[in-house]
Formats: sequence, C-alpha cells, structure tokens
Amino acid sequence: MKPVLETHNVSKSFAGVQALSQVNLRVDGGNIHALLGHNGAGKSTLIKVLTGIYPSGDFDGEIVLQGRPVAFRSPADARAKGIAYVPQEISVLEHLSVAENVFVGRTGVNGSALVSFRDLYRRTRALLAQLDIELDPRLPASSLTATERQLLMVARALSTEPAVLMLDEPTTSLARTEVDHLFRVLNRLRENGVTMIFITHRIPEVGAICDRATVLRDGQVVAEIARDEFQEDDIVAAMVGRRVERLYPSRAAAAAGDAILEVEELRVARPGTDLDLVHGVGFTVRRGEIVGLAGLVGSGRTEILSAIYGRVQHEGRIVVDGKTIKLRRPSDARRAGIAMLTEDRKREGLLFNMNLRENVTIGNLALVSHGVLVDRRAEAARAQDFMEALSVRARSATADVAHLSGGNQQKVLLARVLMNAPKVLLLDEPTKGVDVGTKQEIYRLIVQLADEGMAIVMVSSEIPELLGLCDRCLVLAGGTIVDEFARGEGSEERVIEATTLTEAA
Amino acid sequence: MTEKTPVTLEAGVPLEQQSGRPPRRKAFSRAGVQRVFAVSEAGIVISLVALVLIFNSLQSAFLSSQNVRAMLGAMSFVAIIAVGQTLLLIAGEFDLSVGSVAGLSAVISAWLMTKGHLPVPIALLLGIGSGGAVGLINGLVVVRLGIPAFIATLGMLYAAQGFDLLLTNGYPIYPLPHSVGKIGQATPLFGIGWSFYILVVLVVVADLVLRRTTIGRNLYATGGNREIARLVGINTDLYKIVCFVLTGMLAALAGMLVMGSLASGSTSIGSGWELIVIAGVVIGGVSLFGGVGSVAAGFVGMLLLQVVQSGLVVVGVSPNWQTVSVGVIMVAAVGLDLFRRKVSARDSIRRRRARGSTLHETEEAGAM
Repeated sequence: MKPVLETHNVSKSFAGVQALSQVNLRVDGGNIHALLGHNGAGKSTLIKVLTGIYPSGDFDGEIVLQGRPVAFRSPADARAKGIAYVPQEISVLEHLSVAENVFVGRTGVNGSALVSFRDLYRRTRALLAQLDIELDPRLPASSLTATERQLLMVARALSTEPAVLMLDEPTTSLARTEVDHLFRVLNRLRENGVTMIFITHRIPEVGAICDRATVLRDGQVVAEIARDEFQEDDIVAAMVGRRVERLYPSRAAAAAGDAILEVEELRVARPGTDLDLVHGVGFTVRRGEIVGLAGLVGSGRTEILSAIYGRVQHEGRIVVDGKTIKLRRPSDARRAGIAMLTEDRKREGLLFNMNLRENVTIGNLALVSHGVLVDRRAEAARAQDFMEALSVRARSATADVAHLSGGNQQKVLLARVLMNAPKVLLLDEPTKGVDVGTKQEIYRLIVQLADEGMAIVMVSSEIPELLGLCDRCLVLAGGTIVDEFARGEGSEERVIEATTLTEAA
Repeated sequence: MTEKTPVTLEAGVPLEQQSGRPPRRKAFSRAGVQRVFAVSEAGIVISLVALVLIFNSLQSAFLSSQNVRAMLGAMSFVAIIAVGQTLLLIAGEFDLSVGSVAGLSAVISAWLMTKGHLPVPIALLLGIGSGGAVGLINGLVVVRLGIPAFIATLGMLYAAQGFDLLLTNGYPIYPLPHSVGKIGQATPLFGIGWSFYILVVLVVVADLVLRRTTIGRNLYATGGNREIARLVGINTDLYKIVCFVLTGMLAALAGMLVMGSLASGSTSIGSGWELIVIAGVVIGGVSLFGGVGSVAAGFVGMLLLQVVQSGLVVVGVSPNWQTVSVGVIMVAAVGLDLFRRKVSARDSIRRRRARGSTLHETEEAGAM
C-alpha cells in the first residue's frame, strides 16, 4: 500500500518546550488511521501542522502528500491541496439547509455567484448518495440530530474531494448506535478508497474501525500498531506510559442505606407540545448508591436529570430524604440538597468572565460571606481546599478558566457542585472530553463520594463506564426504563440490545 | 481524597499572594509593572492622565480650578446615570430610555410641586419613584416577556418622551418653588454642586458592592452566562429587574438635579443622554455583552469623555468637533481594549508554554 500522507521528522517547539519532536507519520491510502494520545501528547499540534494552521516554516520537517513534498501556507491552502478536516466542535449553520451547509462558500453554479437551488440540491443529493448518507438536502440544519450533523460535517469536508480526511474526535457527542451509524458511513468511504485520519480518546473505537494506529506521547511517536496487533491494554499503556492497573476503582457492594432520592411517575413533555420526552419513569437511589442511566442521546436521560434539578417542567413526585419537594427552578433543587454537573462545560458550566476561584465559589458564596460581604480570605481558603482535594492543576487560583485543559475544567465544575455538600449528585457525562488520567481520578472521586454517603445518579454514553462504576443501571429508550440490572449482571450487549430492540418496536 | 496530588501552583507562594495584585514592594519590578497594566482599569486611567496633560500643555487654563469645577459639575448628572447603566450592562442588559426618563421624571416632579401643590421633598421622592416605576416596566418587559432590551427600552425612550410632552405641551414648568433652585445651585464644597458629591458616593458604594459582595458576584455571573447563573441558584430575573429599577431611579435623580440647577422643569432635560452614558461606560471598558467591567472604570470613562469635550473647547476647536470626537474615541477605546486583551492572552499562553509543565493546557486552549 502506498502512503498518501507522510510527515518526515516534524518538530515544533514553543519557547523552548518541545511540543512535537521528530514525528514520522505514515498514512496509507484507503486506510483509516487512528491518531491517539491523551491531552498534551501533541495531537492538537500535529493536527495544526497538517491542516496549515501552523504554516510551513513554523515547524521543522516535511509533509509529503501523495508522494510530493507540500508546504501549506494557510488552512485554506491545505484544503485546496487536499487535506479536509472535520473539527471536534460541530459548526453547522442552523438557519441554512443541508445543501447550503454542505457547499457553504461554494453554493454558486459552476463557481459563479449565482445560486440555483435545483443545481445545489442535485449536487448535494449526488454527494450524499455517494456517501450513503440519507438526508434530505432541503431540510433546515436546525432539525438534524447530533449524528446527522456530524455526517453533514463529513459531507462538507468530502465535497472538496480531498486526498485525506481528518476526523477530530467525531464520536464525542454521539450515543452508541449513532456511533455505529457513523462507522458504517466511514467503512463505506474506506471501500471507496478515501484515506482518513481518525483522532479519538475512545480506545475501543480504534479496534472497531481503524487499520493502523499511531500513538503520541510527550510529542513523540511511541507506538505504531497494525490492526491485527491491537490490544487495548497495550494502547492504553503506550498512551499513559505505564500500564493502567484498573480504570475503575474497586468498591464494596453498596450498603442498603435509606432511600435518599425517590422519583415516581416522572413525565417531561417537549416544551410547548404534548410529546413526551420522559414518561412513567420511577426509581429510587439509596444513600451511598451510584445509579447509572444508559441510553441513546434523546432517550430522555438528560431530561430526567434536568427534571430532578428543576430545570424543566415536569409532572410526578420527587422525594428527597423523605420529603416531597416542589422543583420549579434549580435553586429549589439546591435548597433540597441536589447538585448537578451539566454536560456542556462551555455553555452550561464555566463562567469565562470569572477566574478559577470565582468559578468554584459562585452559587456557594453564602458559605464564605458575612451577610452580603464576601470574606475573600475564607473564599480563597475554601476554594483551595477543593482544588487540592480534586488536584486541579492550574497556574494559580486566579487563572483564566478558558486556558485550562478539559479535565481541569471538569474538576473546577465538580468543586463547584460539591462545595455545598449535596445529598444527591446528578452527573451528566462526567468524563466527556477528558483524558484517561483524569477519567480515572474522576471515577475514584465518584466512588469516594458514594462511600461517604452521597446518592449519585450518573448519565454516560460510555457503557463500560456505567458497568464499571454503578451499583445499578437503568436502561432508557424512548423516554421509559426498558431494563434494569445490578452491578455485575449487565453487559454492553445487554444495554445495546435493550436500547435498540425498543427502538425497533 | 485517598491520594493527594499536590496542586501545581506557583511553588512556595501562598495562594493569597497569587492573586492579580502584586505585593506593594514589588510595584516597580517588571512583573509588577506588567501586572499593573493587566488591571483592566489601568489603560483607561493612563489615557485619561495623558489627555489631561496634553490639553493642559496646549492651554494652561485647562487645569484652572474654574475649568476643573465646570467639568466635574457638567459630567456629574450623566455620570450618575452611568452608575446604574454600568450595573445593568454587567447584568447583561442595557437601557436606552434613561434620557427620556430623566426628562419625564423631572417634569412629573415639577408638575407635582406646582400644579399638584405637594411639598417639595415629597414631589422629589415621587419623581424618583416615577423613574423607578419606568425602570420596573422596562425590567418586566425585558425579563418576563423576553423582548430584547434594545427594542423594549427604545420603545420606552419614545413613550416617556411622549408623556413628557403630553404633560407639558412642550412648555417648561416654571417657576418652581424657591427651594428647588436653591438646592440645585448650591455649592457645598470647593464650589462644586451637590450632584458631584452624590455621584462620588454612588460610585464608591456601587463599586464596593460589585467588588466585595455576593450581590456583585451574582451580577457578574448573571451577565456572564444567564443559564449558568440560574443553574447555580441565582435569581437572575430579580437581579436584572432590580438593575433596571435602579437605573430608572438614578436617571430620575439626575433629571431632578438638572431641574434644580435650571430651576425649571424643562422638557429638554435628558435629551441625548442615553448615548453619552453608553459611550462613556463603554470607553471605560464595560462590555456591551455583559459580565465585564466595573463602576470605577465606567466613571473614568465618563470623565475621559468630559475631558475631551471640554479640552477641545478650551483649546479653541469648533464645538462641532466634540461630537465627532465622542464617536471616534468610543470606537478607538473598544478597539484598544480588544487589542490589549489579545496581547495579554498571547502573553499568558507564552508564559505557560515557557513553563512547560502545563503544556497540555495551552494546547487545549489553542484548539478552541
């Protein structure tokens, strides 16, 4: 197989710190090539070199595309020369149609400024058919699901007929069956001879779809693995530089404590309609118990947490510590001892106009104030306790949260929700976009909090995570509980079966 | 925690001292100077000082006590409103109706103390109350009905102006009881009127509230990201409405102070103020998008605007250039602020890269 894309001894340093050193990457034609490495390994830097964000001359070494050395002057230049890049953050233009989104910037007939929608729809239909993506070109992008948006981004990237397609963590916002859908499309593309670089945090996906994998650590290539040599343990070991003993902490069976959170006949309607997002859901969480909610995106799992936190209108009974509570807004939930970690750190988590410490204490200022006066000494001490306990790594307590890594940002938010000592903790995708090392720390923290008596409800798209951590799992589909099992009784297959079978029904 | 990993902060420095403000003795070290520049108010204060020096070198009468008094007196009415506007901007909203409200409240109060035969203090309080009531309507329309502040308060600008004219037919209410003019034209200290001292008290109190209290913190959170503020339990609707009410009341107060100084309930009071107020606080670095700024900075911005306007007059430039200058300065100030932020962000990334230990953080930041 001939290499389509190669880098020869690519090095890049920032003010004396080596971000990449002597990286030799070789991506063969018609392959899906995995690029692995946790945060800080140099993945992002390498991507920027390959996509022209760091123009030629900004780094040492050489890029060879289809046998010829190339020099990218800019991202647009890299695109023109055959590198397509699908960024991690999906950027869909909500108000435009699928077709306009695919050919954004190139909607005109034969490159002119005139737009013929007939021509545009025809071109889009042809492209989508070729990719085996079933989407109506006329649909507004705002009506698309997360997977459809991801596929739309792939279609946009492929519309320029690139030599190499780079996908940056395309599965982070997708649920399991949606990932399968994406993989079917990628497989089909591979059959058509498209060469892809697949960047991911999720190691099982490498085995599922990739032909080769390159593992980066500390700016260097530490492993090159071919498909028939894939061993998850080896990959993890290469990524972290040591063998991860156990990802999930061991835990004695949860003592059957008192019921802390009881949910009965919960119903959540789609705002402004009679359509139920959640109906007839009931469950109990005991003191010290971790309960997992599994299911696809849209199965109602986030809505259940939102209802318990008073974010959405709902019917049904929610009892905390024996008392039925009325939840009209999040402040009601907080008063009842409920805390929630939201999924979207950027939009629903971090306050970018405030520093790290203020991000921790916001909402809990009463604990460090006399009347309305904030006691800044007490605030600093309190925030530092949490930063130490969660080992938040930052330059200082007044650092800008925008510059923290995903894992550290998540820890800041965890400190915030834990600061007023909740009885019930709701976690929505607590390890999303977080590196392996931090994941392990967060798992340990969750187990420790449960051991201390907190009742925890956790939503995750990563089924192994739920199986490894939770005392009990509830499987959701179409807004109801379709399966339930205790620790050790479930399996990935069982969860997938429960969710997909219900969908078929 | 079972395992305690040490928090990687600056080695050996207690957290307390790692806040933005350096210890005093370090004030002239390079890092110290850099940090002074990093304080958001520094740029605007330096610009202000520079302008004062320039105007004074061109015309030494600029810093004469008479001119300084005139400038401080002239700016205080509008700057009183700027205090409310700053709080409102930090909470993520703004109010275009302040000029009209100042005029309407002055006229209402003048009407009450003349045709209504109410005692002066009560008429003044009712005037301020009317401003608060208008602010409450603004707040409810914006927060409860979800109408954007731009539209809601622009509507109020016209409505209040209309009521003003309905009440007066465009004629000033005159004469007012003797005591009104007496208060309005009094110069309790250094030959400067009450309005300036009221302004100073308001600025100090509001600035302390913002910096030191939970109310201030919650306001910043509300303007920074309303949804997150709600999630952490802050009653964002209440905060916004209170800011609207406060802004309305301060607008009314300013209107009445002008009425006092003119000793007349003129319908032209407050006309055009809304844009001056916003221009001034924006020059001071208060963000139109919410969550960023301070009352002190907004005040300095207003001061700078006044210095430029008076300075051009003193130097002998045609008054028409004043208006041009307001526009240019506002755009330039925001442009400079953006530039400064970009530079300081780049510097902080460089610093962290140089440190090396936390490389992954810069990488993530760069990827965003």
